[in-house]
Amino acid sequence: MTHATENSSRPGDDRRADYIRIQDFSFYYGSKQALFDVTMDIPERQVTAFIGPSGCGKSTLLRNLNRMNDLIDGVRHEGDVLVNGESIYDPHIEVISLRKRIGMVFQKSNPFPKSIYENVVYPLRVAGQNTRSVLDETVERSLRGAALWDEAKDRLHESALSLSGGQMQRLCIARAIANRPEILLMDEPCSALDPIATVKVEELIHDLKREFTIVIVTHNMQQATRCSDRTALFYLGKLIEYADTQKIFSNPAQKQTEDYITGRFG
Amino acid sequence: MDPTLETDTTDRRRFETGRMTLLIDRVMTWLIRCGGVLVVTVVFGIFLFILFQVFPLFQAARVHELKTVQLPQKKFTILGVDEWGAKPFLVEPDGNLLFVDYASGQVSEIPVDFGGGPAHEITAAGINKREQKLIVGTADGKYALVSPGYKSSTGEGKNEVTASPTATKFSDIGIPGARILDIAYGDSGSQKLVVALQDADGKKSVSAQLLKRKRSLLGAGSAEVATAFDLTPFFSGQPRDILVPATGDAVIATTDEGEVIYLSLQADGGFQKVQTFQPFGDLADSRVALVDFLFGDVSLILAAETGENRVFSLFYPKGASVRTFGLTQEFPVLPGRPSYLVSTQRNKAFLIGAAREASLRFRTTTSVRWQELLPFTATKAVISGKYRRILFLDEQNRLHFYELNDPHPDSGWKALFGKIWYEGAPEKKWEWQSTGGSDDFEPKYSLVPLIFGTLKGTLYAMLFAVPIALLAALYTSQFLDPNLRGVIKPTMEIMASLPSVVLGFLAAIYIAPLVEHRIPSLMLLAAGLPAAAALFGWFWSTLPIHLRKRIRPGTEWMVFLPILALLGSLLWSLGPAFESLAFVTTDPATGKKVADFRYWWPAVTGTPFDQRNSLVVGFMMGFAVIPIIFTIAEDALSNVPSALRTASMACGASRWQTAMRVVLPTASAGIFSALMIGLGRAVGETMIVVMATGNTPIMEWNIFSGMRTLSANIAVELPEAPHHGTLYRTLFFGALLLFLLTFFVNTVAEVLRQHLREKYKTV
Repeated sequence: MTHATENSSRPGDDRRADYIRIQDFSFYYGSKQALFDVTMDIPERQVTAFIGPSGCGKSTLLRNLNRMNDLIDGVRHEGDVLVNGESIYDPHIEVISLRKRIGMVFQKSNPFPKSIYENVVYPLRVAGQNTRSVLDETVERSLRGAALWDEAKDRLHESALSLSGGQMQRLCIARAIANRPEILLMDEPCSALDPIATVKVEELIHDLKREFTIVIVTHNMQQATRCSDRTALFYLGKLIEYADTQKIFSNPAQKQTEDYITGRFG
Repeated sequence: MDPTLETDTTDRRRFETGRMTLLIDRVMTWLIRCGGVLVVTVVFGIFLFILFQVFPLFQAARVHELKTVQLPQKKFTILGVDEWGAKPFLVEPDGNLLFVDYASGQVSEIPVDFGGGPAHEITAAGINKREQKLIVGTADGKYALVSPGYKSSTGEGKNEVTASPTATKFSDIGIPGARILDIAYGDSGSQKLVVALQDADGKKSVSAQLLKRKRSLLGAGSAEVATAFDLTPFFSGQPRDILVPATGDAVIATTDEGEVIYLSLQADGGFQKVQTFQPFGDLADSRVALVDFLFGDVSLILAAETGENRVFSLFYPKGASVRTFGLTQEFPVLPGRPSYLVSTQRNKAFLIGAAREASLRFRTTTSVRWQELLPFTATKAVISGKYRRILFLDEQNRLHFYELNDPHPDSGWKALFGKIWYEGAPEKKWEWQSTGGSDDFEPKYSLVPLIFGTLKGTLYAMLFAVPIALLAALYTSQFLDPNLRGVIKPTMEIMASLPSVVLGFLAAIYIAPLVEHRIPSLMLLAAGLPAAAALFGWFWSTLPIHLRKRIRPGTEWMVFLPILALLGSLLWSLGPAFESLAFVTTDPATGKKVADFRYWWPAVTGTPFDQRNSLVVGFMMGFAVIPIIFTIAEDALSNVPSALRTASMACGASRWQTAMRVVLPTASAGIFSALMIGLGRAVGETMIVVMATGNTPIMEWNIFSGMRTLSANIAVELPEAPHHGTLYRTLFFGALLLFLLTFFVNTVAEVLRQHLREKYKTV
């Protein structure tokens, strides 16, 4: 593979190009194979987008990065995923601590039926952090990080369910970044949002990549062009093409890629 | 025709709803509406029916005049009546009886044959109500027993009462020739006690005669004087009124000084003064105007000159070995000196009147059943034996018949909920005892012990069931392997449909005798198993992750199960050893040291140990309630959107943290419903309680004693309750209470549930 040559990281940059390394990864739901020998490196503190038609395996791969698929019955995998050089399937790794390192935002916003404040500090609370000042500071930082502070600062102790759809999704982002994970996984975070809320979340993603390595699954190719640095196209569980976003959308190497982005299938 | 138009109409018809669809929709709407209204009506109807059954319990007595009959102007010593109040009699000064027939209003004088001899002037008379016999005393110190000889014949729907009085010969008593002022007699069957108050030239004297019936081969012989007593020395003051209880073994007398003297006939044949007391000692005028026994002859109703009336009952005061009279009830004061005081042979009611005021009162509940200003001044009164008629004799010798309609004199709010001083009890208490061995038994209808029993049973059942059911639901829904969950849930649902009579039977026949001997084992289990589970959990979490990985999440219990079984049987068999270590006490029967919890518990706590106890009920009712709580709570927990669980997991929460912090609060409304439905089941549960509690209506929280619940009470007593009687209606009142209790619990539960649902609703 020629990942290294395609890497966009400039010289002098301390960002690792193979921060997440996916090696010959196959995944099965029971007897149905969902991913076929995917191999790719995801660079540190950049936005990597997974695109592809429905059922192509992009969400499956994303959910494997923090082992959320473990919760599903009868799944198995082959190959390995390394984060910062360590296998996430290492039997000595506790899946709970892994998930603390890798935050996740879901397609449908899923705030807890608690106050805005408690939603944001939840990752800290489950990690045993109950110091008021730390929690307060985290709430402000996370809500500012998720561009929700101005709208929510006066109603921190109201139910999170009183927020609008877009605000709820940003609250979920704030929750995902509250415990300062290293990686942020986003599974179609804007699919249920209106265009204005989508723009806000996209701007947010742009800001967040300074601090986090972001992997985003999206249906929306415009979104991929707008906010990602690199793009991977999946089709029927296989990685078709993986390159800089600009290159994929302007000069794809594969015929299938071109067909997909010009709307001939998908 | 325009072809385009035709296409248009057919096209439009395409969108029309079919006639049949509309019709079915309309019919079904109506059917469902009718069904709903019907259900509401039926529930409301049941409520109304119960209310209708219960209402008479709280009604006051209704009394109205039936008839007035003018009697000849004579001075009558006493007014008596038959059971039905149909043919009352009055004793004339010459000893003859004047009968008044209610139906015809006819007054007829029937001469009484005292076995020949000269006529005597009757100066005093007493009635032994139990025997329906009369004792008359004469101006020259003689007495005779008179029986009115009532006979009733029922024919053509009418009840005809006829009377043919008979009498014994006159006998002497006390000081010969001295005028008898008051006379009373009691008859226990084997012996009669006659007591007379005489005026011997201005000096009052009290004499008694004990008559024994001689038995011969030819049958019952005549009564003969066995012993004569002079009771005068017992009196320091002037004796005034004399009473003898039906048992004929005691004398109660009042004096002009306001004292009551209680003499008792001892086994050795002599009289002894048991008690002297001043019932109105606290009043300015402490004299006793009137005195009478209440039905049963263990309570005295005393009236003061100034209108006070109080009840004194015989009971063993705390620590005492002799029964004495003590003040138990005090009634509202009447205006002025009472002129008559009579009790009934039906219940604990008495009729008292001062001037024109007449009042019907009831001992048990200290209630005034009826009080009215009569249009005449009554001098004598009597209540018929069946408690259906009241008769008054006024100053003009007119006899007034009144109808009395008071089917439930012993009921009311106070009887059902108040603390009451029952006859023979040393203090006020709440008690349920609806039937007794004799007619003069005072029924005790307090629902408080039953409500207490209901709450006690529910509490112990919930204590056992709630932790198990909720933890099981939490484990099954959040931790257990999903395949196993699919097996466990239906199994529990089958358990929920197990008839409670089977559980009750098991509890009474198998569990209760087993538990009785194994309390120490159960204690060890109760402490040991949860501790072992917690310890195992801790141990498991400290295991290196690659070891834990070998067991799939949700199947860890398979590792724990053998440990649990082993430990369980170990603790169970360690019970006797623990018992001999910790529960050594003295066997009250043999006086030897024994290791037996059944003796240890009463010795240490002072509360009894019964085989059928709350622990057994808690277990078995718990088993009835667990499946219900489990099923509903498990549903509620499983219905928490998986998005929330996933979100929590993605935040780095463990399964336990997710369960406790996200799933449990979100499912709280459903869990609360589960608890409330379980509570409702426990409150209304009948068969298990009937069979396994011993049904003792006691009021103590002791886990090793039984209880009686409202529902069990209905099941146990309704078959024996006379239709429309007080017990019958009181049981319905218990049903109403259950209805209201359930209604209240459900309403509160629903309000809280809505609140919780609002608070923890998910997107």
